[in-house]
Amino acid sequence: MRRTILGKGLVCLAAALLLIPLQSLAQDLSAREIMEKLEDNRRATSNSALSRMQLSTCKFGVREGKITCAERPRVKSLESVGKGYGAGLRDTRSVAILLEPAAERGIGMLSFIYDDGARDNETWLYLSALGRVKRIASGSSDDETEPGSLFGSEFTTEDQDTGKLDEYEINLLEETVQAGREVWKIETIPNAERARKSRYSRTVLYVDKERFVELRIEMYDQYGKEIKRMLGSRVEQMNGIWVARSTTIMNLVTNRLSNMAFLEMHTGIEVPDEFLTQRTLTDAAFRETELEKLRAQIN
Amino acid sequence: MRPIRIVAVFAASTLLAASNQASAQDDVLVLGDDVQFDADADFGFDDDLFGAAFDEDNSASKASWLDDFTIKITQQFSGQVNNHSVTIPSLFSFPREAELETNRLGANIRYQNAFAPGWLLQASGKIRSYWRDDYEYEAEGDKIDIEYRVNEFFLQRSFDQHSLKFGRQTVVWGETTGNSVLDIINTNEFRDFNIIDIEDARLNQWLLVWDYFGKDSNFSSFLNIYPEFNPPAVRGSPFFFEPAFNLTDYDRDSGLQFEAGTKWRKSFEGSDISFMAAYLYENQMRFEDPVSGIGDAIAQVNDFFLLGFSANRAVGKLLLNFDLAYSRDVQADSFSFPGTASLANPVNLKKDQIGTSFGFEYAISNEQSVSLGIQAQKLLDEDEGLLPGQALINDGVFGSWLVRYSNTLMNSDLVISSTLQGDLDANSLLALLGIDYTVNDNWTVSGQVISITSNETSPLIFFDEDVRLAATLTYSF
Repeated sequence: MRRTILGKGLVCLAAALLLIPLQSLAQDLSAREIMEKLEDNRRATSNSALSRMQLSTCKFGVREGKITCAERPRVKSLESVGKGYGAGLRDTRSVAILLEPAAERGIGMLSFIYDDGARDNETWLYLSALGRVKRIASGSSDDETEPGSLFGSEFTTEDQDTGKLDEYEINLLEETVQAGREVWKIETIPNAERARKSRYSRTVLYVDKERFVELRIEMYDQYGKEIKRMLGSRVEQMNGIWVARSTTIMNLVTNRLSNMAFLEMHTGIEVPDEFLTQRTLTDAAFRETELEKLRAQIN
Repeated sequence: MRPIRIVAVFAASTLLAASNQASAQDDVLVLGDDVQFDADADFGFDDDLFGAAFDEDNSASKASWLDDFTIKITQQFSGQVNNHSVTIPSLFSFPREAELETNRLGANIRYQNAFAPGWLLQASGKIRSYWRDDYEYEAEGDKIDIEYRVNEFFLQRSFDQHSLKFGRQTVVWGETTGNSVLDIINTNEFRDFNIIDIEDARLNQWLLVWDYFGKDSNFSSFLNIYPEFNPPAVRGSPFFFEPAFNLTDYDRDSGLQFEAGTKWRKSFEGSDISFMAAYLYENQMRFEDPVSGIGDAIAQVNDFFLLGFSANRAVGKLLLNFDLAYSRDVQADSFSFPGTASLANPVNLKKDQIGTSFGFEYAISNEQSVSLGIQAQKLLDEDEGLLPGQALINDGVFGSWLVRYSNTLMNSDLVISSTLQGDLDANSLLALLGIDYTVNDNWTVSGQVISITSNETSPLIFFDEDVRLAATLTYSF
């Protein structure tokens, strides 16, 4: 369905009306309910959505309390289309196509992310040099390995995972302040089954109490050491959804970080099911035609 | 020290460095609570590197007709660096001296334009200029030679659930990367040892490809009414051996040749499977001596039927691949080792053949990956039709194996890779070590060390103890 000005206005009005009661209601939410709302918000950013992103990666250092790239970052720009599926639209299918750099233009990735913990997420990649669609093993078989990377960045398929909350013990640790915002500090601990598939033995999230956006996530290994930290900033409302337009994930083992900047995000886009298939990776004529139709819905 | 030992030591060092890196995983940078990004100041980065992404001018990208082009310019040097001699037991021995083999400037141009809804034009080509000391320069009588070649050139029309592509293109079948028994639709050209990957050696042919994208499965079919064959080795190249008679192209007046095939593919959760069938011509021509013993060699081609099945299965970080091929009426004798097909002169005997390729790919980490592919084939009823005392080169199970390892370092700017390739009878081994350094989004420098070890039962005996070094400078935009 094409979003209209009227539609956008209604969403904003509804959000404004809900703002005050939401904050008071939020005080009574359990850790699980907070996580569910957080995940609903996450899914909303990829459900029937067309986004343009910039992915930057570099080695980093810390100088005077600030993170600094220690080298010129490698920058990739990509376009992504996603849609929710299944009960409560809790499964997500998405396609991401690299636009830049020129040498990697046209490389595409198709991902199916399942809410059910018993189902491994699926990823296919198309490389023109290879001449065919290639399935990527995206699960993680042991604690020493990392799940599949998103176009060579520090973002992994696990970091972008949603759902599977039944496989975690979720605890509300405290209410505190992060980046000047009131947040809940929540830890999630995977059960034995999930732990076998995850790099992380424990994750601590700092969730904005008003906007249900993660401002900070700490990821710990099996020895209790923090190995990755994710920081969200530039939290803005895009199409009625609160989004950290800039998300930076730092790998504290390799001292390498990746920043994902949402340059554009449009929701409420009518995405045909056929677009979220392997055809989009291989059939460039189909892909470009359908992308033009999706872009036309924005205007 | 044998060249292979040098490479083995280097490969071991690479793996050792990788394992050291893995063992250092516990050294974690401890970030204080005060280390954070300022939401109002572009993430707190001192140089505001990523903040520019949100600039208005940046987000409103301007389309240009140049966006449809991707151009890569390369200058390559390579040569055999080990002074030694090659001995063919009980026959002869010849010296192999260090020499520059390639010195060439090239440009690869790729164009892709979806010029109207449902329409796409794609083309790619390359131009090469061969400089002094390049084997093609010397083959041209010490003159700078320039070569042009169109690779892809096709028009695509997609509508509803269909896609039609007509023009020069490739069709890739099979799941095993590098040495699939089903990846035989395209002709290929291994001019020299700088190309040992099948992905880089495929040649395009004039094809009509029809893809049907169903709700649950896909069909992909092709028709080729002008089958092409592997080109003979270029004069002066390492694979070139002076033939007794001039090698000519196939005489196409003897009837209509065509190739056709279809593949059905279906994806399940965690797995993809395909069935395929095709009527094909073998890519390698067979050359017979002229009847009178004077004139050109006579090129013979062979048609055959192929039935195939391929599947993959993702298990955690492991991807298993499997291909199975049944070929009816293929030539009984041909060398299976990539790059040596042009040396083949098989006996004129048709056989049925069954083959498989299988292997795995495993991502050790975000930076490291390793893959293994094994190809094994066997002729059925192999002794049938042979004269007493006659034996086939491809006796019993024959094939090859391929191991690849890559390690990405320095923020993906440095990629160290190694490839080991050999035949199943352990008669030859080709080892490659590669280093690719990305200076920036435009410039790349790469180097290769290639070592060959072989005994007299492999055609690679002519390259035994060869060590080649190669360096390439690339500018892409």
